[in-house]
Amino acid sequence: MGYVLGIDIGSAYSKGIALGDQGTVDSSVCPSGGDLKLTAERVKEELSFRNGISAHDIMRTVATGYGARSVIFADEVRSDVACHAKGVSSLLPTVKTVIDVGDLYTKVLRIDRNGGVHNFLLSGKCAGGSGRILQVIARVLRVKVEEIGEMSLKSKKRVDFNTGCAVFSESEAISRISEGVTKEDLLAGLHRALAAQINSLVERIGVEPDVAMVGGGARDLGLVKALEEIRGHAILVPAEPHLTAALGAAIIGREQLKKKIES
Amino acid sequence: MAEEVKEVKPKKRMTATRAAASIGPMVKEFITSTLQARAEGRQKLAYTFIVCHHEEILRAMDVIPIWTENFAGICGAKRDAERFLQRAESLGLSRSLCTYALCGIGFDQWREELGQMPPDAPWGGQARPDFMISSGQIICDPRSKWYQASQQFMPDVPIYNIDLPYPLFQRDQDHRDVWDYYHKYIVKQLRGLVAFLEEQTGKKMDYDRLRELVDLSDRTWNLIDETYKLRRAVPCPMGTGDAMNTMVPINFMMATEKAYDFFVDLKKELEEKIARGEGEVENERYRLMWGGGLPAWYALNDFNYFNSKGASFPVETTYRMVAPLNEMDIPETRDPIEHLAWRWLGYWTFWYDKAKKRPGSEPDVERLINWIEEYKIDGVVMHEAFSCRSWHVGLIWQLHQLAKIYKPIPIYVMGKDGKREKVYRELPSLILESDIIDITSYSEVDTRNKIDAFIETLESIRANRAA
Repeated sequence: MGYVLGIDIGSAYSKGIALGDQGTVDSSVCPSGGDLKLTAERVKEELSFRNGISAHDIMRTVATGYGARSVIFADEVRSDVACHAKGVSSLLPTVKTVIDVGDLYTKVLRIDRNGGVHNFLLSGKCAGGSGRILQVIARVLRVKVEEIGEMSLKSKKRVDFNTGCAVFSESEAISRISEGVTKEDLLAGLHRALAAQINSLVERIGVEPDVAMVGGGARDLGLVKALEEIRGHAILVPAEPHLTAALGAAIIGREQLKKKIES
Repeated sequence: MAEEVKEVKPKKRMTATRAAASIGPMVKEFITSTLQARAEGRQKLAYTFIVCHHEEILRAMDVIPIWTENFAGICGAKRDAERFLQRAESLGLSRSLCTYALCGIGFDQWREELGQMPPDAPWGGQARPDFMISSGQIICDPRSKWYQASQQFMPDVPIYNIDLPYPLFQRDQDHRDVWDYYHKYIVKQLRGLVAFLEEQTGKKMDYDRLRELVDLSDRTWNLIDETYKLRRAVPCPMGTGDAMNTMVPINFMMATEKAYDFFVDLKKELEEKIARGEGEVENERYRLMWGGGLPAWYALNDFNYFNSKGASFPVETTYRMVAPLNEMDIPETRDPIEHLAWRWLGYWTFWYDKAKKRPGSEPDVERLINWIEEYKIDGVVMHEAFSCRSWHVGLIWQLHQLAKIYKPIPIYVMGKDGKREKVYRELPSLILESDIIDITSYSEVDTRNKIDAFIETLESIRANRAA
């Protein structure tokens, strides 16, 4: 049947999945940057070059994410809500509630086994409730964002953050550092504050087990643990949680293609 | 001081009805007529607020109302509010206050400073009032504070404040046990307004005329109710986008023959559209309820975007400030002031009895449930305008309660024993976020991405719905 591409242009990172007849062939991730059209081309080219896929072999491309409309070669644009649902249900079929911690928003989805969305809720327009705050604090602490999860788990005495606002959190982090608080304790406090905000969103829409966390934020083990601690139950995380929307887009593309061939 | 740069004009929203299309010129006409009256000086002009059940009194006394919320909304719809908001901010007022009030205060300060209208004022600007009638109304504090702030720039303009409370919902108490007290209080407030107007105009109230105007309003209320109920038809002949226009006669023109005639025409137009099977959208796929929140006046085109996806809005809770009088359990009286007070209480307590019958329900939630059923609704959309607390506080709670107590969508799921079982789910909902007139709070890309995701959710539910 050839290849189907799923391309997720997020506000911070762009992700791509090439799906062949036997499943995922390859994935690609790069910063979104300022030129989203160029970024989309780069994702496609990388997947094509690494796997020897010619333009002729690409049967369908489905784009999603904040900059989906910049993927001018896409056959279809689908919302990231629908794509996350489809991606998660293919990886973790028992999941009914999905928490997507992205750079721009945190979203909570209620889904079914087939990847259909029953309801969803987005965080308010505030970086304090999204993954953006993790990047802000990583920059303040001069550590890589990939490292903060492990660091946070080594905390001995978690700091209590007084604010849920990203801008104020940055100021608060700076003043706490000057008070001699360790990076580990500070990060544990940040994770707790962010997890509390995410939890209030989860509570608003209501939870059906199993619960999964995806998006770039789900790569942060400290955040996942903090949310598990607040909620009192395990949260499933797929192996590459930042890729579920791109995967879902590719699966939707493949389903459409199959339908077309069958008809 | 304020930047005097105007924003880019929005594309004109397409209306589904001729009646809605006629509203723009109508509003322009009554703005122009206030400016003309100011110039001629024959009639007194009053700044005031909508939904106070006092239009009949004003019109009976030949006082011309200047609806200050309306003017701020016009500035917002024309994307020309920012310079007035900035001016208010430069006076030390926070952007997180009611942006209608900020826009009005900024405009007033500018007009008073210049001694004439600010440059390129929308539709000629807002006329200087002879007096201001504010109204303390439960939690909307700008209704009492706005004019006090404006009075700093117009110290010669008096304010009269009317207080219009209503009994709050209590599940274990019949509101009729206490509403006589409220009624007495409101009557006193309205009689006080009459005395104030008599003093300001030098005229005596003509109670026969007032009675006629109250009767005209009552007939208009019932007519509006009948007209809006026609929107239950499938496909729906008129959506919320149009209702954001037709709110003008409901909220700004009550107690006028023009408002009554407008709804006679609209009713006829809707009946004709229904007979032809003509909907707001060509192929209606989804029926949505605008479940709360004032609209983003600069982004009414978003309703067209919903329409382009096959979504129609047969009903909205916003600005439908009428209820059928014959269904209200209010005492009969020949005194028009007493009737106005009863009508006020009847409107605000309209859903109380029904809400008591459903466990976990509240009047606002009960209204949502009733209209979801009556109008065959597939999903609920709300708008959270950050600067307006009084209309927006509780919206999320309403959705939460709705999801908890009302699950109308049957679907099949795989049960624990591996057998298929039927369960019921809540209606999907969407919360849009921005403001009534502050365009800096709005992102079109973001809003439309949310709408796309919501439409896909509705489609997914349609595909999974059990027979």
